[in-house]
Amino acid sequence: MQSADHAAAVEASRRQDEGGERLRARMAAAFFAAVIAALALVPVLTGNTSFAFYLMLWITMASALNIVVGFTGYLPFGYVVFYGVGAYAAGICYKVLGWPIPLALVASGVAGICLALLLAPTLRLKGVYFGIVSLALATIMRLIIANLPSDITGGSMGLILSSSNNPFASYYAMLLVMAATLLSVLWLAQSALGKALKAIRDDDGAAACIGIDVPRTRLVAWLLAALFPALAGGVEAWHTNIIDPEYAFHVLITAKSIVYAMAGGFGTIIGPVVGAAVLLGIDHVIWQKFPLINLLLLGLVIIALMLFLPRGIVGTVLKRRPQLRRFIA
Amino acid sequence: MSGLLLQGIINGLIMGVIYGLIGAGLNIVFGVLRVVNFAHGEFVILGAYFAWFLLQALGIQPFLAMPLTFAVFFGVSYLLYFVLIPPLAKADDPEISSLLLMFGVSISMGALMLLVFDADARSLSFEMEPVFLTFGPVVVPTVRLVALAAALMIVAGLAYFLYRTHTGKALRAIIMNRDAVRIVGIKVEQLSAIAFGLGIGLAGVTGILTALVFPSFSPFVGADYTLIGFVVIVLGGLGHPIGAMLGAILFAVTEQVASIYFNPSIATICGFVLMVATIFVRPTGLLGRQALR
Repeated sequence: MQSADHAAAVEASRRQDEGGERLRARMAAAFFAAVIAALALVPVLTGNTSFAFYLMLWITMASALNIVVGFTGYLPFGYVVFYGVGAYAAGICYKVLGWPIPLALVASGVAGICLALLLAPTLRLKGVYFGIVSLALATIMRLIIANLPSDITGGSMGLILSSSNNPFASYYAMLLVMAATLLSVLWLAQSALGKALKAIRDDDGAAACIGIDVPRTRLVAWLLAALFPALAGGVEAWHTNIIDPEYAFHVLITAKSIVYAMAGGFGTIIGPVVGAAVLLGIDHVIWQKFPLINLLLLGLVIIALMLFLPRGIVGTVLKRRPQLRRFIA
Repeated sequence: MSGLLLQGIINGLIMGVIYGLIGAGLNIVFGVLRVVNFAHGEFVILGAYFAWFLLQALGIQPFLAMPLTFAVFFGVSYLLYFVLIPPLAKADDPEISSLLLMFGVSISMGALMLLVFDADARSLSFEMEPVFLTFGPVVVPTVRLVALAAALMIVAGLAYFLYRTHTGKALRAIIMNRDAVRIVGIKVEQLSAIAFGLGIGLAGVTGILTALVFPSFSPFVGADYTLIGFVVIVLGGLGHPIGAMLGAILFAVTEQVASIYFNPSIATICGFVLMVATIFVRPTGLLGRQALR
């Protein structure tokens, strides 16, 4: 009799958990849909798409990074390598091989996945070791590309994709990439795979004990986290028509992705979107008002954020108002 | 041919000891505080600017400026510790948060130095007679040799402090086991501030050495030094103060010898490949132990 009661209670609490999860997922989905819809309207309503384009780029970068940091606990300092390789893959396929743009963008995605497979053995490492090795590998990749014959990569001048200019189409291509990233994060948060990843992040030994295939699960997250920045790199190259070897592998791209995601809150679904929007907005205002001290103020904003909101914006809100946990994931 | 090789090895040793000092400063801060000091390179450059200022404005020679720089950097960062570091304890993952915090510090410092000193590359206009010393086929600038001697003295002093004094032993004890150290009654908080001051003081002094050895410095090269610092401590063993020295010498000699035979960027690739390969063979670095993680 007692065990039946107990089973019913367990069943009820499980159902409540599931209900809460569904509600949170729906809230996040609604939020994402609103963001995507608003960004889709920008080129129609205003002529100035530059800010919105980079907002989408950074939402993509921060959310994709969240897949690997928030779900698996790995912090790749050399994250920019996927972005840079994606940009170069698109550029080389378009300029040297003469492929059409859509095919070149597919190539940047494929290049990102291939590179992630190549770097997959580094997932054996942990913590700061993983981060530094990742940074070193990104530097190696940049130097290799810089040393390739210049009729392929353009050498230190980079590549110029002059005839491909189409700001309108490339804007919507970036929107597509961002939407795909957000959908993946949303799906991951609810799927068995996402739960397995969080279990591995918290305790990989225990996760292996309950039958999770740790290396394979990690690899899937790693590949997803590599695919989207590679696509974003390809689309950005198309949008600006320029691939600059210094910029395409710049540490600041990794750093900004991390900072934006962290500002929102790693491990939350909507955090990186909020973080990217808020910080990019601040950055934009600073640029317009105080171009000279732009970097100084950005640095101070990051310091203040870490000192006063160490869990990120969304993470801190959830900590202060736990009742919101019912709605926000 | 062998003269060139010898020259490369000598250059590698000189740079290795300096890289090692950069790594040692980073390693003390990381080992004791678990803070990933991403702004270390900026403090190195700031040290170079400080020496430049002392030389230009007050006529103080760089080698005399070293103790002064150390004292000033130690004092300021000892105080800075209490502003920056304790709030990090509230974060879910203090290590990653510290990285981001120090990244903010790094950007701000780079920007401030740019505002104050402009973007042009500066150099310490300091020479010694004779300018070059010749040992058979090897030619070494005298300043580099004196800088090497100064660096070795700093390393010796650091080793003495860490292994022979009470405070130094307590710092190493914190690196080994933070919790146990609290139980035996060591004041972790105050020692952490000392470690922060020591790490950044070392960065300032190392900055003067880099300004003597490398031709020039500018506000935004700090990140390069930070990267090298991390590479050498990961190579040598995270949290192991002397391991950094070994890793740095290995890294710099590889890089310098490779730069004789290939172009500079291939030489850099060689240095990094060495680090990545080492990590795959010994995942905790050359001298690192699992217990440190």
